[in-house]
Amino acid sequence: MYRLALNMLFGDRAKLAMLLCGLAFSALLMAQQSSVFFGIMSWTYTPMVNIRAQVWVSDPMVEQVNDAKPLRDTDLGRVRSVDGVAWAAPLHTSFVQARMQDGNFKLITLVGIDADTFAGAPAVLSQGRIEDLRLPDTVIVDEWGAALMGRMSVGPDGKPKNTPLQVGDTFEINDIQARIVGICRVKRAFTGGPFVYTTYDRAKGYTLGARRTLSFMLVEPQKGVAPAELCDRIERDTDLKAWTSDTVIWSWGERSLARNTFWWFWTNTGIPFSFGTAVLLGLFVGIAISGQTFYSFVLENLKYFAAIKAMGAGMGVIARMLFVQAFTAGLIGFGLGAGMAQAIGRVMIEKGMPPFVMYPQILWATFALVLGISFVSAVIGIIKVSRVDAASVFRG
Amino acid sequence: MSHPAHTVAFRATGVDMFFGTPENRVVALKQADFEARRGELIMLVGPSGCGKTTLLSVIAGTLTPQAGTVEVFGQRLDGLGQEALTTFRRRSLGFVFQSFNLIPTLTVVENVMVPLLIQGRPFDEAHARALAILDKVGLKGREEGRPNALSGGQQQRVAIARALVHEPPLLICDEPTSALDKDTGAQIMQMVRDLSRSPERCVVVVTHDHRIFRFADRIAEMEDGRISRVVDDPKLLDTTHL
Repeated sequence: MYRLALNMLFGDRAKLAMLLCGLAFSALLMAQQSSVFFGIMSWTYTPMVNIRAQVWVSDPMVEQVNDAKPLRDTDLGRVRSVDGVAWAAPLHTSFVQARMQDGNFKLITLVGIDADTFAGAPAVLSQGRIEDLRLPDTVIVDEWGAALMGRMSVGPDGKPKNTPLQVGDTFEINDIQARIVGICRVKRAFTGGPFVYTTYDRAKGYTLGARRTLSFMLVEPQKGVAPAELCDRIERDTDLKAWTSDTVIWSWGERSLARNTFWWFWTNTGIPFSFGTAVLLGLFVGIAISGQTFYSFVLENLKYFAAIKAMGAGMGVIARMLFVQAFTAGLIGFGLGAGMAQAIGRVMIEKGMPPFVMYPQILWATFALVLGISFVSAVIGIIKVSRVDAASVFRG
Repeated sequence: MSHPAHTVAFRATGVDMFFGTPENRVVALKQADFEARRGELIMLVGPSGCGKTTLLSVIAGTLTPQAGTVEVFGQRLDGLGQEALTTFRRRSLGFVFQSFNLIPTLTVVENVMVPLLIQGRPFDEAHARALAILDKVGLKGREEGRPNALSGGQQQRVAIARALVHEPPLLICDEPTSALDKDTGAQIMQMVRDLSRSPERCVVVVTHDHRIFRFADRIAEMEDGRISRVVDDPKLLDTTHL
């Protein structure tokens, strides 16, 4: 009977198209909005991705990576003395204004790294060499920042033209010259400001007036010492807070700074509510359209279901037929919706805006919700058919 | 007018059936007795509202009477639960409906397969048997078409094929010719009559169409919820009120 149930479903192409549209739109909305949400949320812990170290040490009051509370420079020595530490390097991060050559100001994320070890340096340089940071007044800018801070001019066609910053270009941070010696490729930050790398000592100069400039310490465990274990030792011996650099936000644990940052934004901003509303909207739209269309499909076939009942099919068989129809439509609708979300995601990833991260969990959740919509639709149909009297087939 | 048990196809005795609340009761059947023999084509006639459809539903096990007994090919229906009645219909009944009730989104052969698939027969077996019976009712070559592409007579043949494909002993036809012209109706009734000629089968036809009375072995006339008389010769019926 299930094969015939499918033939009944596929035989009514107009209804099927409507049903699939509802389900696909719903799946698209839920998957796409969730992916953009997680994309944006992944920007919140961007420094953890761009500045690589196994263990981060911060002030005990720090809750998330964008909220650095300055440490004393002597804390670095204390951390280095903890058993199991291979090395520890200073890191400065702050938001400062940079003045472009055309007089325009841009907010940047200034990152000061240890000049000896270059611990925390960007992984990929598309132009220049990291060693050139040891030259006076030098910085490395990320590709996005180079474009953002580029020079605006009028092109030959009369339209505004942006020329990205190049190696050799200069700008000012707190009236101190910054000369670009490299362009790096890093992940964009939630704050929107470009990453500008320099040495830790030079960062001190760029942030005149700041009494303490040590934001974090980047620590490497000795061979055979697990990062989480080293975190315990550092906290025990220094009273500072130590974090792992794990960026898997799905697992539970107190140690990951990225995970804490993610959940800090989750609980302290309206972003989840905003995107959650869109996802719920997708769910309700899916239930409304699919439920209504499937109900209409059942209504149109009601006399045939009554005839099938009269011929001796129990409600169990009919219920299974309706579930097969609803879940098949759900599967196809999910496939179409998720496929469209992937296609849109590809375009977004190529453009870099808005951020798009489609975790497998998003697809699974969307799949479950679409099946939930199908289930509700089928149950509505089953209730209707169960109320049909088999004797009604004799009433013309 | 009772017949020996081994010749009886179905027998309804003293059947009461009413609808509505006790204060607002509509009596559909009142001590109705109805009986048919094996190998017989019996017609049930009467004016609208006299209880024909209700009596048919009681015999088909889609309605359970408030009083009386119903026996179909030796099986008592009164007292059976819904599940047992469903099983009874699945095994013992074939239906031909007034409006055919062919599923428009299925092909002709798929429509005919439905009773076999309800019985849980394998798809391939159901397909083969459906093709064979479609051949018998003269629809070879139309198997893969949609019912809507067929004429009214052809659609009713499909309905008959569907009613018979699982070889039920009792064939119930509800106004089988009401949507057909005279000649097509006569062809269909001839086919139904031929099918009734088996000691393991009985056909009961509810109709208003006096043009097909001649195909009946007997005609039972209903009036006010009971069988008023049964005749062998249609000429004995007063058809003016039918």
